[in-house]
Amino acid sequence: MKKHNITVGLEKAYVTTMMTIVGRALISASQYDDEVRREIAGMPTGYVLSMTVMPSGPGFTLRAEKDGSLTWLSNDTPADLTIRFKHLEHAFMVFSFQESTSRAFANDRMIADGEVSQAIRLVRCLNKLESIILPKVVAKLAVKRYPEKLAVGEKFSKALRIYAGVTQQIVKGR
Amino acid sequence: MAQSYYEFFCPVKMIAGHKALEHIPFELTAIGVSRPMIITDKGVRQVGLVDHVTNAFDGTDREVAAIFDDVPPDSSLKTVQAAAKAYRDQQCDAILAIGGGSVIDTAKGVNILVSEGGNDLTKYSGAHNLPKKLNPLFVVPTTAGTGSEATMVAVISDTEKETKLPFASYFLMPDAAILDPRMTLTLPPHITAMTAMDAMTHAVESYTCLSANPMSDAYASAAIRKISENLMDVMATPDNAQGRLELAQASTMAGAAFSNAMVGLVHSLGHALGAVCHLPHGLCMNLFLPYVLDYNKSVNGDKIADLLLPLAGADVYANTPQAQRADKAIAHLRQMRDELFERCNLPRTLKETGKVERSQIQQIAEKALDDGSIIYNPKEASLEDLIQVLEGAWE
Repeated sequence: MKKHNITVGLEKAYVTTMMTIVGRALISASQYDDEVRREIAGMPTGYVLSMTVMPSGPGFTLRAEKDGSLTWLSNDTPADLTIRFKHLEHAFMVFSFQESTSRAFANDRMIADGEVSQAIRLVRCLNKLESIILPKVVAKLAVKRYPEKLAVGEKFSKALRIYAGVTQQIVKGR
Repeated sequence: MAQSYYEFFCPVKMIAGHKALEHIPFELTAIGVSRPMIITDKGVRQVGLVDHVTNAFDGTDREVAAIFDDVPPDSSLKTVQAAAKAYRDQQCDAILAIGGGSVIDTAKGVNILVSEGGNDLTKYSGAHNLPKKLNPLFVVPTTAGTGSEATMVAVISDTEKETKLPFASYFLMPDAAILDPRMTLTLPPHITAMTAMDAMTHAVESYTCLSANPMSDAYASAAIRKISENLMDVMATPDNAQGRLELAQASTMAGAAFSNAMVGLVHSLGHALGAVCHLPHGLCMNLFLPYVLDYNKSVNGDKIADLLLPLAGADVYANTPQAQRADKAIAHLRQMRDELFERCNLPRTLKETGKVERSQIQQIAEKALDDGSIIYNPKEASLEDLIQVLEGAWE
């Protein structure tokens, strides 16, 4: 029992950290990757999207800006689209790359509450982000198809800028 | 390889076969219903299909309390509200939907309002937003295609905002589906063909997409077999009651399959084409099916290969080497489409529809890219991929 509680605590800490990193990495990717930026620009301006774990987090909440960038919001901001993992363990599987986002959808691990087309856009952004920031061998497990056109140089330079952006946001508390 | 997981849910009681309609009064009595309201459309009523149902109440101690026959081809919030008012005015306690997809979706919407109270359907839109079981809903399909009688979804148009509101909840599952051959016997050939290929697509995509599971596979492959074995016979002899019943059962089985296993790229493209060029859903399904299977083959060729057995039968399957089965299954579907084109001009290409301009391909592809079903497609599809599939389907 005690061992189980420790495992749950560790998983929660891991998912909380990953949610923070992924949310903030999406913000950076919207600044450095044209594809992600185009996807966000296709959302209605001011559209608030949230990804969280039932029943009460962890999670992240972002707002789509007119220029295709994303802004960090507090988790109590009402969202237009909320993707909720049904259980912490399901979120852990996705963020530890044991299950891709698409597979998690297919396996009913999460519920999309909001406009489905925007959920699809968010999944594409997550796929692109994971392809950039993860080693290719790991990214291939996390996405349906690893982008053929993503050259090593581009991947490396974008990943560097995204990780720097994440660090900067965390340090500055933005 | 990912560890498998699936969910399957289908609590709908199937009441199927000869004189099935005459079971309705008993089934309603058994769950304490005394004042059912029929929801239908004028076309269904005019051809006498509602009479088949009301006649089934003759000689019983139950009667139909009200009939609402004003459902348009695209169900809307206003229609739902009007039907809910009729239900309340007549103090009804159950719904009997008689019709195709629009009627069934309308009935599901009405059931939300009359069970939950109020007139604002929009607050229940989305996934799992219904808090409890709804009032009894029985469905008598008059087409063999949508499968809505076995699904947990409904789509209702908000005509003022020009959007379509999706509803998904376990509580939207009807209590019973009544499949009686009399209800589809008079369907015209082109509607028979379109709806059957709609059901075929539900089954094929359920079997070949990401959420496929052993339960949905069983329903899907049985549905494919029934359509394959009976569609051309029914096209040749439309008054073939047994064949009609087989197609109706196939449609419901395909509905149960895709309600649990979802659908993929054929539907993404079909929804987009339907929205841009205002073409019937079943036509779009028939059109895109082989092109999408060809596209997906590199990822799920083994699953497509399985389809050869229910599509073409044991002899063809056994005589075809494993490596050729996927191609042969796709070829078989193409052959079915050719035959349907000869019999009722059901288009096989975008050009054959006569309603699509080649310049619209970009718009259709962009719309398909954001369609919800694309996430369940086994192979990732970019905008360029979709344009390529659409170009391939041009002529």
